[in-house]
Amino acid sequence: MPSLDSPEQETKSGLDTPWNVVVHNDPVNLMSYVSLIFRRVFGFSKEKAEQHMMEVHRRGRSIVWTGAREKAELYVQQLHSHLLLATLERTQP
Amino acid sequence: MTLQPTAEGDLLIEEIPAFLLELLREIPVRAASKHPGVEERFLPDPANDDGIREDWKALVQPELMALFQSDRETVQADLRGVAAKKMGAALRIPKNHSDAWMGALNQARLAIAEEGGFGEADMAAEVAPDPGDPRGMALFQVGFYGFLQECLVRMQD
Repeated sequence: MPSLDSPEQETKSGLDTPWNVVVHNDPVNLMSYVSLIFRRVFGFSKEKAEQHMMEVHRRGRSIVWTGAREKAELYVQQLHSHLLLATLERTQP
Repeated sequence: MTLQPTAEGDLLIEEIPAFLLELLREIPVRAASKHPGVEERFLPDPANDDGIREDWKALVQPELMALFQSDRETVQADLRGVAAKKMGAALRIPKNHSDAWMGALNQARLAIAEEGGFGEADMAAEVAPDPGDPRGMALFQVGFYGFLQECLVRMQD
């Protein structure tokens, strides 16, 4: 069972501070649509996509990926292209 | 109105009453709203960092706007050939247009909700909206578009 406390994490070099991709709650986007987009963008299983979607819905945000800034930006761009509210945040040291 | 997937993976919507056909025709119009709050919603800040925001505005946002417009144009083209008929109109959404439809429906829903200031309580209301008043009509429209979007999402499984 994947844990939401351990989002997808890319192996990183010591030179690059990791960034989180965070998805924020939106009352209008359909929950099923958000799950579908998570599956498409991150390749999540249906179960994992729904877990993250529910975390967004209940807690207001979910960290869906952590890794290098360039790739985090690409993910946020993809999420924005589907009109999901997403941001990238530098991880806390 | 009836909806059914075809063997080819298209979505066939038949017996569409004139009132709902009019709402379908409004999808690209509502999605292209010029309301300032809508642009802000469609192009949110990617980070709490001025450098990233500036690059995003210059490099990413034009691409996103082009993509949103492309989705609207696809939907508009599919709707162009649909004629109102006494027994109800028919619309076929081709499988390879379903992403554009889901995107345009999402744009329209978000735009209407932004214009109407709809929040969590409005979207979760269990009482059917009253299409007789403008706010109720807007909520009905958001719900109708959501229903179509949900059908398209389920067809992806």
